[in-house]
Amino acid sequence: MVEYRDQNAPPGGPYQWGMVIDLDRCTGCEACMVACKAENNVRIAGEDEAAKGRAVSWIRIERYWEGEYPNAQLKFMPVLCQHCGNAPCEPVCPVYASYHTPDGLNAQVYNRCVGVRYCGNNCPYTVRYFNWFEPHWDEPLNEQLNPDVTVRSVGVMEKCTFCVQRIRAGQQTAQKEGRRVKDGEVTPACVQSCPTEALVFGDRNDPESRVSKLAESDRGFGLLEELGTKPAITYLKRIK
Amino acid sequence: MDLNRRDFLKVIGLGAAGSALPGCGGETAKLIPAVLPDEEIVPGVANWYASVCRECEAGCGIIVRVMEGRAKKIEGNPDHPLNRGKLCARGQASLQGLYNPDRIRGPLQRDGERGEGRFKPIPWEDAMSRWVAALQKHPGGAVLISRPVPGTLAGLFSTFMKEISGTVLFYEPSAERPLRAANRKSFGIDFLPDYDLANTTYLLSFGAPFLSHWLSPVHFGIAYGEMRQGRPAVRGRFVQVEPRLSMTAASADRWVPIRPGTEGLLAVAIGRLILKEGRAKLSREDRCRFEKFYDPFSIDRIANETGVAEEEIVRLAREFYTAASPLAIGGGIASEQTNGTDTLVAINALNLLVGNINQPGGIHFFQPSGFPASSAEVVGEQALLDLKNRTQKPSRALLMLYQSNPLYTLPPSTQFRQVFEEADFIVSFSPFLDESTAMADLILPDHFFLESWGDHVTEGIAPAVGLAQPVVIPRYDTRPVGDLFLSAANRFGGGLKERLSWTDFRTMVREQWQDFFALRQPAQPFDAAWVEALQRGGWWKPEGKPVPISQRGAPTAPEPARFEGSEKEFPFHFYPFPSMGLHQGEGANRPWLQELPDPLTTVVWGSWVEINPKTAQEYGLAERDLVRVISPYGVIEAPVIFFPGNPPDLISMPLGQGHTFYGRYARERGVNPLTLLAPLIDPPSGGLATGATRVRIERTGKRGRPVLVDQTGQGAKRHTEEGEA
Ligand code: SF4
Ligand code: SF4
Ligand code: SF4
Repeated sequence: MVEYRDQNAPPGGPYQWGMVIDLDRCTGCEACMVACKAENNVRIAGEDEAAKGRAVSWIRIERYWEGEYPNAQLKFMPVLCQHCGNAPCEPVCPVYASYHTPDGLNAQVYNRCVGVRYCGNNCPYTVRYFNWFEPHWDEPLNEQLNPDVTVRSVGVMEKCTFCVQRIRAGQQTAQKEGRRVKDGEVTPACVQSCPTEALVFGDRNDPESRVSKLAESDRGFGLLEELGTKPAITYLKRIK
Repeated sequence: MDLNRRDFLKVIGLGAAGSALPGCGGETAKLIPAVLPDEEIVPGVANWYASVCRECEAGCGIIVRVMEGRAKKIEGNPDHPLNRGKLCARGQASLQGLYNPDRIRGPLQRDGERGEGRFKPIPWEDAMSRWVAALQKHPGGAVLISRPVPGTLAGLFSTFMKEISGTVLFYEPSAERPLRAANRKSFGIDFLPDYDLANTTYLLSFGAPFLSHWLSPVHFGIAYGEMRQGRPAVRGRFVQVEPRLSMTAASADRWVPIRPGTEGLLAVAIGRLILKEGRAKLSREDRCRFEKFYDPFSIDRIANETGVAEEEIVRLAREFYTAASPLAIGGGIASEQTNGTDTLVAINALNLLVGNINQPGGIHFFQPSGFPASSAEVVGEQALLDLKNRTQKPSRALLMLYQSNPLYTLPPSTQFRQVFEEADFIVSFSPFLDESTAMADLILPDHFFLESWGDHVTEGIAPAVGLAQPVVIPRYDTRPVGDLFLSAANRFGGGLKERLSWTDFRTMVREQWQDFFALRQPAQPFDAAWVEALQRGGWWKPEGKPVPISQRGAPTAPEPARFEGSEKEFPFHFYPFPSMGLHQGEGANRPWLQELPDPLTTVVWGSWVEINPKTAQEYGLAERDLVRVISPYGVIEAPVIFFPGNPPDLISMPLGQGHTFYGRYARERGVNPLTLLAPLIDPPSGGLATGATRVRIERTGKRGRPVLVDQTGQGAKRHTEEGEA
């Protein structure tokens, strides 16, 4: 297995994009979910398809009930693609549609994907979605589609990209100006909308970035990290 | 880029001015090409325009990403003090209002019986004449029911209705009416305060749903994040007292369940303990008054009535008074009872006792911005019901509706429909065919807010006046409602024409701002200030000027809440709550919001009944069984979802579904729980007591089909398990 994430890369080396999700801030308001759909042209399934488990949401809020009345408790946890450094979805793809970029993104090449769904099967976070049908928008809802992002057709897998279109735009601007992307300059749609600032995004290779500093918190943990997937997302425990 | 933008704003101003008058449609259509010459429209390059979100009454600042004349994405305006670049799910989804396939595309007149919902197109000129003729025929009998529109439009509506001796009602379903009424009683101040959540160290909330839909959810979301993790070494604690574990309660450190309608009593017990244990920060005379009030109450009796154990009450009181910056707030289910206002007065008293008024982490009153024509006194359900008696007078009413859907948001038990049936003529300005608009005789559709000029005053919270400009060319043959009223005033003539002599609404807005700036920053030339305001999205100050509070009202003894339906026949309390996405129903025509999972149950695209799992077992109910919910006023059916956050004797249901009109995504989907409600009101505020009806349930023997999205992949599993594939 190739180790993709270079934890020791010096500052000034390649970017390593990562996210921190503070569960002590998240309120389950779901602003992130709609923001992601709007930014990334995520299709609407409709009632019947949703009933068949075919609704798509690149980011979702999982909820965990504990205890019984009057001691019931509920916890929220935003879950999106973890952009694993050691991604279980990548080696199983027969056509290399699922691959790792040098800056730490788990990318999906839609026009290469042949829809065998091995990647979805192998993802322990169930964040990869299959397109069971051709996406459809009632006119004129289609006029709102973001031209920076492709619309995925029937038969391919899709998932959170860390809003790669925004990352690339940010990188290009920085490159033109002969500098590195500044901390906070690139913001995925979900991060931008989140009222409580539960989500923070940035370069893990920059020790001064907010995301690097927050990830050092002693509340930090990786989702199912015992699987050795080396997620690029650090969760911060909710305090009780 | 900056220059282009300035030019754009200038030209868009001229274009919109023309659009008010008949026959000028062509000019507006050329708007974008005229502003940005073809070579400047770079495919894939976006312009951002500032405006104001109108999806709820908060009025967050937004910036809209526009490419080739089309709005692509809405973000929070990072500059706006209310929402600082953040936005909620509904604000994000407002694009689906603009691009909604079921928008009304031009003026319509009724075709067929009233209420059938059949209409045929009519030219604007004829539509305007019919409306103005109706206005002239009903001197004094005209009623305008509008959503609250704090800003220039409120001024226009008020002046217009006053000049024709009519009535304007700024109505908001389940508004913060009790809160306003209570603040008047407690502090003698008529506007809403800001709650400094960000700097609170101990937040005691009685049912206030501030993380989902209360007052200004994005503003409070930001403050909540700061309260928890924004300060070094201080993490604010948060306790939520309410009967049902709501989405807001889920974030609390402790949820304290309480019997519905007794929240005020609990506040009284806590207040009594603060005073008794010598921790009240009151002047001598205030102390006397408060002592006199609290004295007769006994803690163990209150423990009994509220269902909150005595130890818990003592603990709450001590946590509250020992905190460095405690804050008590109340709303939602606590205020939606027949004693709602009194409950909030009792909660306010806790803040007075610990002296947190205008203190960090406490309640702050800021001086109003001073924007002209911004007052819009919001009314509750009672004000609408009062119309029923009025219409029985010989001169029957002309009813006008602006973004208000009382036939959906008022329970049928109030018999409000009568007002519609007896009205002589009904005009709606809604861009969507909702239930009330379907009863109209004439529809003069407004632009969607992203196509209109306007402003929005936020008093109290973060003093700001947001400025809304059209960010896209109007898509259809609709007209801004402000232009319609000005044009009607012009046709009407006389005093009305004199008072409202503006040629179009944009000019009126601009002039209000001119007056405002003349007051605020007289040194600056207005033209520059105006362009700057357009670019920034309005005017605001980082810090409001605090208003000292002189009045410190002791609480009044909360009357026991009244409930309709006998406990024997109707064993359950019933609580219908605004849904996260659909809210009171307005969001139901947006597919994004329909498919947004309820945060607590993950249900999408439908209605459900939340029941405590143990209770369900007692009734022999499995999850997804279809049940009948019966009140003294109605019956509805919906599938059961087990809900561990409900007490055994409380049933809850989300609002927002059960539309009979309102477009393809909303129509005939789920049920409207309001059909069960008794017409009970909280008298001081005139607001509907949505938590005051009791219900029973019956099995139907049928299975329902709620769609849960749960964790991904499981939906499919569950589906095949049930053999429905
Ligand atoms: S990072 Fe972008 S693609 Fe991923 S969940 Fe957030 S908004 Fe969606
Ligand atoms: S927007 Fe932020 S607070 Fe709201 S659910 Fe998403 S992560 Fe949580
Ligand atoms: S809280 Fe949401 S709906 Fe209300 S104004 Fe702000 S963004 Fe719009």
